[in-house]
Amino acid sequence: MSTTTRRIDHAALFAVLSSLADNKQAVGRRYAYWCNGAPALEAAVAAAAMTQDELGHARTLYPLLDNFVQAEADLSQVEPETRTLHYSLAYLDRDFAGWADFVATNFLFDTALTTFFEAAQQSSYEPLRQRARKIVQEERIHEMHGEGWVRRLARAGGAVRATMAASLERLWNETLCWFGPNDDPIMQQLYREGIIDATPDELRARYLKKIMPTLQGLDIEVPVAFNASNKQWELTGALPWERWDAVGRRLG
Amino acid sequence: MSDTMATEKKARRDALNESHVWQVYARRKFEEPLHEIGNVMADDVELAKVYARSIYDEFAWVEMVIVPRETIVHVIET
Repeated sequence: MSTTTRRIDHAALFAVLSSLADNKQAVGRRYAYWCNGAPALEAAVAAAAMTQDELGHARTLYPLLDNFVQAEADLSQVEPETRTLHYSLAYLDRDFAGWADFVATNFLFDTALTTFFEAAQQSSYEPLRQRARKIVQEERIHEMHGEGWVRRLARAGGAVRATMAASLERLWNETLCWFGPNDDPIMQQLYREGIIDATPDELRARYLKKIMPTLQGLDIEVPVAFNASNKQWELTGALPWERWDAVGRRLG
Repeated sequence: MSDTMATEKKARRDALNESHVWQVYARRKFEEPLHEIGNVMADDVELAKVYARSIYDEFAWVEMVIVPRETIVHVIET
């Protein structure tokens, strides 16, 4: 469906909104499989509620794409039903191997997306600002679920803990890369124009501040150290930018 | 399935079994008292909160609390 109003010419915003919508859609689809496969009835109901939320977030983001000049190249790509492009993480291309993959996605990647939406709560682009506030509110319960299950699986010890740690490790690099390299022209443009209030490095720092207390408390090893001088969590290893696909915002 | 595999599987299952029951209370209006609406099983209090909100979401509650069942003291018990 096309609108009669004038479309905005903004390739950077169009690219990020496409990535946000596709990732929310992919997360929702992967969660959906576990609505009747979670370890407990309570967890299955929570998975169903989070599935609805994620697909709902995608549903509010896709219609925004139609407001851009960039959509005119192929209008079938703005509708989730006809869209063939999938700018979501490679980790989400396949079914989750187990519940630990669900928990890793919930704890790591969904929280990363929420970090972006938090940075857009005062956005100069009003449609994103409105959606960001609602999404951040709904995601609070998802964060509690992710943190709770990471604690649960890590404290179970043995093979359960090892499987959890392996799932977190597989998703780690791609999640941190999603914010883009610090000189990412797309995210930098959004920052300059007040669409978000942080650069990629600042987004990563805010993200690490959210997740590291849980990981540190459980002694889960990740390549991050606390810098006492600036009171920030910092990556101790390089991210694999040689595999970064800037168009799909994913690792190749 | 070998004995070792069966033992490992049981250990994994036992490690994830929830053993704590939380009674869930809620009210729809401030002028109403809290009343029991059900229970959830979880060993983690944050997960118990998530489960209570997810499962008992049929109304727009103004308040919901959870109480660990083992803390309830019976005054009269039949």
